[in-house]
Amino acid sequence: MRPVFRYLNLDTPIHRLHPLVKLAHVLLTLLLVMYPIREGDLPVLLVWLAFSGVLWSVGRVELRRFTTLLKILTGTFIFLIVIQGFTYRFGRTPLIVFGHLRLWEADLGVITKEGVMFGLVLCVRVLVATSSLPLFVMTTSASAIMTAMSKLRVPRVATFMFISALSFTTLLFEMWGSIVEAQKLRAFDIDRMNVIKRAVRAYIPIITPLILLLFRKANDFQIAMETKGFGAPIEPTEIETLHARPADFLWLGLIVGVFALCTALKFGPWL
Amino acid sequence: MPGEEVLALRKVTFAYEGDVLALRDLNLTVRKGEFVVVLGANGAGKSTLCYLISGIVPHIYGGRRQGHLTLVGIDPWDEPLYVTSQHCGVLMQDPEVQLFMPSLGAELAFGPANLGVPREEILRRSKEALALVRLEGLEEHNPRDLSGGQKQRAALAAVLTMQPRVLVLDEPTSQLDPLGRWEVGEAIERLKQAGDLAIVMTTHESEEILHLADQVLVLERGEAVLQGSPEEVFSHPDRLERAGVKTPALIQAQSRLLTLGRRGAALPSRVNLGLEAVAEQIRQEVQNRRLTVLPQALPPRQAPAAEAPVILEARDLTFEYPGPPAVLALQEVNLRLRQGEFVGIVGQNGSGKSTLVRCLIGLLRPGRGEVLFRGKSIRRLSVGEMASRVGLVLQNPDYQLFSASCREEIAFGLRNVGVPDEQIEGAVEQALRTVGLEHQADLFPFRLSFGDRRKLAAAATMALAPEVLIMDEPTTAQDQRGRYQLADLARRFHREKGGTVVMITHDVDLIARYAHRLIVLYRGLMLLDGPTREVFAQVEELRKSFVVPPVAGQLAQRLSALGVPPDILTLDELFQVLVPGGIQEGVG
Repeated sequence: MRPVFRYLNLDTPIHRLHPLVKLAHVLLTLLLVMYPIREGDLPVLLVWLAFSGVLWSVGRVELRRFTTLLKILTGTFIFLIVIQGFTYRFGRTPLIVFGHLRLWEADLGVITKEGVMFGLVLCVRVLVATSSLPLFVMTTSASAIMTAMSKLRVPRVATFMFISALSFTTLLFEMWGSIVEAQKLRAFDIDRMNVIKRAVRAYIPIITPLILLLFRKANDFQIAMETKGFGAPIEPTEIETLHARPADFLWLGLIVGVFALCTALKFGPWL
Repeated sequence: MPGEEVLALRKVTFAYEGDVLALRDLNLTVRKGEFVVVLGANGAGKSTLCYLISGIVPHIYGGRRQGHLTLVGIDPWDEPLYVTSQHCGVLMQDPEVQLFMPSLGAELAFGPANLGVPREEILRRSKEALALVRLEGLEEHNPRDLSGGQKQRAALAAVLTMQPRVLVLDEPTSQLDPLGRWEVGEAIERLKQAGDLAIVMTTHESEEILHLADQVLVLERGEAVLQGSPEEVFSHPDRLERAGVKTPALIQAQSRLLTLGRRGAALPSRVNLGLEAVAEQIRQEVQNRRLTVLPQALPPRQAPAAEAPVILEARDLTFEYPGPPAVLALQEVNLRLRQGEFVGIVGQNGSGKSTLVRCLIGLLRPGRGEVLFRGKSIRRLSVGEMASRVGLVLQNPDYQLFSASCREEIAFGLRNVGVPDEQIEGAVEQALRTVGLEHQADLFPFRLSFGDRRKLAAAATMALAPEVLIMDEPTTAQDQRGRYQLADLARRFHREKGGTVVMITHDVDLIARYAHRLIVLYRGLMLLDGPTREVFAQVEELRKSFVVPPVAGQLAQRLSALGVPPDILTLDELFQVLVPGGIQEGVG
C-alpha cells in the first residue's frame, strides 16, 4: 500500500507554488465547510470540489493512493444518506415508505427526497473538507512547510509535531499491517469477521500490541530528536528560502476568486 | 602519538530508578581518533553506557550515578541534552525511529538547524556527511524509501551533521542484512580513518568491526571483566564465553589450532584478524609439523529419504507487489519440501525470502502459480486454517503478544483453531514446557526479555501443532547465549516430532550448523538449491547474492591444497581434520 500524506517529490506548478498560497487554499476550504449548511448547498460544494480536483490533477496527486480511505468513506456516506433520508426533519417528499413512526418532526418510517439530498450534501462537505490538506502536505516539502509556518509565527514545536505526525502515520499503517498479519497466523482473521464481531472482539488483539509498540517507538523518537538538539533555546535556522513569484499571486487570485464565487452562490440573492 | 582525551569515566556506577544496578565501578578513557568496541551479553549494561555518555541518562531515563564522567570537558549529567548533543552523537539500533523527516535533506539539516548553525554551514556539512556515507544525490528522497543499510547510513549522516567529537553507536548493524552491515561498517571504517572522532560502539557482531578496534571493553552484569587491546581481550576465550560474548570464529580457530599445535602454549601475542593471515599461520604450522591434516570424508548431513512425501510445494510461483513502481518479488519459483527436511533460505533483503514464505502460508496470494499442501492447492484455505498446518514464527514477537499472561497468549491461538476447552490447558502447559517458560506462565508477556518473548511467540505457534515450522531470522538482536535458542527449538521439533523446518536467516553459521539443504534467493529467483555443503562450495554464485560461506568453510577452502576438505562447514569439522602433529604419529 502506497502511504498517503507523504510528500511527492515532483516538479509541477502546484509543487512550485508558494506554501502560503497552498495554505490559503486549506484555510478557505475549512471556511467554506464551516458555512451554515442547507440542502441546496450541493452546487456550491461541487464547484469547490471540482476546483480542488483541478489542483490535485495539476499537482499529479494520485487518487488511487486514497483507495482504502475512500472505501471507508463510501461506507460512511451510505450510512449518512440512509440516516438522513429517514430522519431529516424538513423532509417533505416521500421516496420510499416503510410505514409511519413519528418522532418529533421526523417520520422514521419514510425515506424523503430532501433527507437524501441533505445526506448527499453532508457527504460532499466531508469530501471537500478532506480534499485540501493532502494536497498541501503531498506537494510541499517539510522544510518549506517549516519556513512557511515560521513566517506565520507558528511555534516550531507545533510545526514539527505536525510534520512528524505525518511521518508517524506511515509507521502506524505499517505496524497495523504487521500486527493484523501476525494475528492471522494464529487463526485470528479480522478480514473475515462481520462488522458486529469485529466491533465486539476483533480489535483488542490488534490495538493492544499497537499501543504498546507505539509507546516504545515514541520513546525512541524522543531520544532521536532530543539528541539532535530539538528543544534547544536557540533561534533555529530556516533552510528553505521562500520568495513569492508572479505565478503565486495569479494562483492566489484564482483561489480567492473561486472562493468568492462559491460564497456568492451560497449567500447571493439568486438562491 | 595519542590524541587528546575526549571521554573519561572514573569508577562510574549507575542504577536505574528502582535501584536496578546497571553499571558498577566502570573506568574508561577514550582519546580522539580512538575506536572502542564494547561487548557483552544482553543486559550487560552496554546500552546504559551509551545513554550515560550521551546524556540520555538522566534527561530521558532517570537513575542514580556515582563516580565521574567527563565528555569533552563537560559532565552530561549536569548539562541539558542539547548541550551534550553538540559534543556527542548517538546512532541507535533501529533506523526507522531515527528518521522522521520527509526528505533526507531535511533529516540532515534537522540537528544543526535546531542549534542555529548558519544555513550555508548546514548545507556544507550535509554534503560532506552524505559523501562520507555514500548517499550523494538522494537529498530529496524520503528516508523511508531507502534500503535497511541506506537508512542506517542516512541516520549516521544525520548525526554527523551535528559535528560531534564523540560518536556512540549502539548496535548499529544488529537489524541489517549482510550487505547493510557491510555498508555501515565501511562508513564507520572511513570515519575511523579520518581520525577526527572518538567512536564507542556496542555490538554482538564483533567479527566485522574488530580489526578497527583500538580498545575492547567486555561487560558482564554491569562490570568490566576484560579490557584492553583486541589481542589482549581475545586471548581469554573462556572468560569471553562466560560473559556470553561470541568469540569470532577466526580467533576460535587460532586459539584452538595454534594452542594445540604448540602443545598447550598460549595464544600468540598478536591475534590475527585477517582470514588470509590466519590461513597462512596454519599452513606454516602444518609445514613445521606442529599441525597435521587428517583427510577424511565428512559425514553427510542427515537428510530425509528421497521417497519421503512432499509436504509443501510451490509451482511456478510469481508475485508482484503493485506499484507504482511495481516490484517483481518472486519469479517462477519452484520448490518441493519433503517431510522431515531442515531447509535454510538465505539471500539479501528484497531477494524474495519473506514473500516466498508468505505465499507458502497463504498470507499472500501469488499472481501466477500455486502452492500445494500435501498435494492440494491452498487457494481455498484461510490463513487461519493454514496455521495449524504451517506455522510461521515471526522476527518480531511484539506484533502478536497482547494477552495478560503467557498462558493466555498460547491459549488464544488454540481457541481460534477450535481446540476444545478441556484440551487447551494441557496443550498450553506442554507448549510452555517446550520453551522453558513454565515458571513464567502467569507473567505479563511484555515483562519478559526479548529472547523470552520470542520463545513465547514460538510456543504459541508450535502449540497449534503445525507439520511445517517456518522461522524468520531466529538470531536477530540476540546475544551469544540467546542466539541458538530458537534454532534449537526448531531442531527438537525436527528430530523429536519428525517435523519439517524452514529457516530464513542471514546467519550462515546457523545454517551451516543445522540445515541439510540450502536455498539461495536472488532478486526473486532461486539462484541455488541443494545440500548445504554443495551450495556453500559455489563461492562465485554466492558472491552474486552477497552470501559469504561460514568462516570455517572459507578457511578450509584456502587450506584445500594441504588436503583439508574444502566443503567443511563448521569449526568442529575443521578441528577434526586439523590435529596436533603428535596425533598423526600415533595414528600413523
